[in-house]
Amino acid sequence: MKQLHRVLYCSRSRLPGGAAEVGRGLRQILERSRQNNAATGLTGSLLFTESLFAQVLEGPLEALCATFERIQCDERHHDVTVLEFLPVRAREFPHWSMAYAAPGPQALPVLKAALHGAAGPEAGRILAALHEVVRGADVGAK
Amino acid sequence: MDRITPDLATLLDCAPPPARPLAALIDGIPQPVLLIDADLAVRQLNGAARRRLGLVDAPARGAPLGRVLEQAGEIAPAEAAVLLAQARAIVAAEEGAARGGGAIRLTGRRLSPRLWMLTLAPPAHPAFSPAGRCALTGLADRAAFAASLARLLQRAEEPAAVLLVDLDRFKSINDTLGHPVGDALLAAVAGRLRGCIRPRDLAARLGGDEFAILLPGCAGEADAALLARRVVEILSRPFLVRGHLASIGASVGLALAPADAAEADELVRAADLALYQAKAEGRGIWRRFRPALNERAQARRALEADLRRALPLRQFHLHYQPQVALPERRLTGFEALLRWTHPARGSVPPGEFIPLAEEVGLIGAIGGFVLRAACAEAAAWPEPLKVAVNVSPLQFERGAELVAAVTAALAESGLPGVRLELEITESALLHNEASTLATLHALRGLGVRIVMDDFGTGYSSLSQLRSFPFDKVKIDRSFVSGLAEGGQASAIVRAITALGASLGIATIAEGVETEAQAAALVQEGCGSAQGYLISRPVAPENIPALIARAGSGAATEFVP
Repeated sequence: MKQLHRVLYCSRSRLPGGAAEVGRGLRQILERSRQNNAATGLTGSLLFTESLFAQVLEGPLEALCATFERIQCDERHHDVTVLEFLPVRAREFPHWSMAYAAPGPQALPVLKAALHGAAGPEAGRILAALHEVVRGADVGAK
Repeated sequence: MDRITPDLATLLDCAPPPARPLAALIDGIPQPVLLIDADLAVRQLNGAARRRLGLVDAPARGAPLGRVLEQAGEIAPAEAAVLLAQARAIVAAEEGAARGGGAIRLTGRRLSPRLWMLTLAPPAHPAFSPAGRCALTGLADRAAFAASLARLLQRAEEPAAVLLVDLDRFKSINDTLGHPVGDALLAAVAGRLRGCIRPRDLAARLGGDEFAILLPGCAGEADAALLARRVVEILSRPFLVRGHLASIGASVGLALAPADAAEADELVRAADLALYQAKAEGRGIWRRFRPALNERAQARRALEADLRRALPLRQFHLHYQPQVALPERRLTGFEALLRWTHPARGSVPPGEFIPLAEEVGLIGAIGGFVLRAACAEAAAWPEPLKVAVNVSPLQFERGAELVAAVTAALAESGLPGVRLELEITESALLHNEASTLATLHALRGLGVRIVMDDFGTGYSSLSQLRSFPFDKVKIDRSFVSGLAEGGQASAIVRAITALGASLGIATIAEGVETEAQAAALVQEGCGSAQGYLISRPVAPENIPALIARAGSGAATEFVP
């Protein structure tokens, strides 16, 4: 089997408009990424607060780099910080072409701290936050 | 499920969005757009596409693209064949790419596993040369860029803008991760640039890590500035290339025709001056050309001309600042400091001419002069007084040359190597560790002592102190000036001296100006000091008297 890699990044949103419009923008991002990821064998999870994104992408290196590069060129966010990029043994989100994780109250300060520089422990905490939410959602998913 | 916000819960199921006909969506797009599936059947096309292709009626849903193109009144049969081939290539490659050099181009983008969006791009600007591509990036090369710019400006009826883009920190990525990663990074940079520009603009790779963008019909600064800002921002975002995470940045210089220059050469020179300014102001920014930059460039050229003559005209000389051992303030040696006195300019500060000398390649010759003069002077001092000489990071990069210059200076003067100290800054150590280490060892093989200058201001770390054979670290003046107030500066000085003591590395503090600072340095265990409190730098003719007063190394307090 091909070596899997995982990247975790966070960034600031540039989605325009009020809550409804942002929700539509987010829906678009999720749909597009689910379609792309299903076609290229990537899985992952996206966390969004009112102003910040955190996303995990995992899969074969080549598809991962190509998708990451496309995300980098996206104008709907900026100030991108990569918190983690490494080879992994197994996927964290094997059943999700792109899970959506609404953040719990503890996630926002963690994300903000991560964007202000220090990686390391934040990467683990964000990943844990993404996990917790997705695990909860997994129960309700088919 | 309780953590999922209710209004966003729908996002989790993959149900299609509320029905909104795709046709209505793409009809809102001003560019001619077609949606095709993997079998090259047309699923949708918008009004702009119908007009551009010259279709009287909307084709039936699912009509083969080939037949639709045949019916298009605005498309010649030969062109239809080319477009069909382009569409096929786009679907086969599964990714969007502009192809072909005909009167009309297709760009494609995959929307879903079985759906592609094709955009009928307007042709590239007629002035742009189709030939001359950079093989690595697919962008225009330098010659094609120059030819396109010249042709564009000859037409003269429309304004234009040139952006010159220089990558920051590319060299170190190339050095540390290797050329294949560097090449992949350049290709990714090209991809991002391509994504920033309109179809009629031209992006080029001029060579190395220099890129350029030509914007025809760009009348005002606003549009070009928007693009410049976008380029700076998007290239500062991280890259994942070949399994590596790479962070670079970009500086951008901008010039507009005809406002800033009317001729191609002049326009590029203006953009280059703006780029130079962006880099001088700290990189990672864009700057537009200003006439003042021309004046500054002229002033710089005049300074360079004078600097080139300074060595043969013997306008350089050295002053020497005493260094003393603490706490007794016994004279141990001098730091040699370069002075340039120009007949018209007067005394030119080193901060002005040293960076220029480094830039124009004079630093090796000037550094060689300093080594020879300092060693000759020191050979006349009583033993064991030492002389410390500053070495530029650029001298250090050419290690073999530096070792040869030091060897020659010692041989000519007869000064024993142990009485020469070379002060190098941390930045000299950042590149190419293996060859740096080899140079340091070769210098120590001559008996020379190595001092790390400005310690604590840059990237120095414990590991660096451990892996490089330093004899001494010089504590930067910024910490010394904060010493009397206690607090962080004291803690840093204490850490450095403690570290030095445990690794067997001596410490010296520079910029010592007050008794309080000297007392604090003694308190923190710092071994030596220099600064105005001890003595200002002195001319060589005053040194013998100074040494005599100091008791030539006797353990008497140094009183200048």
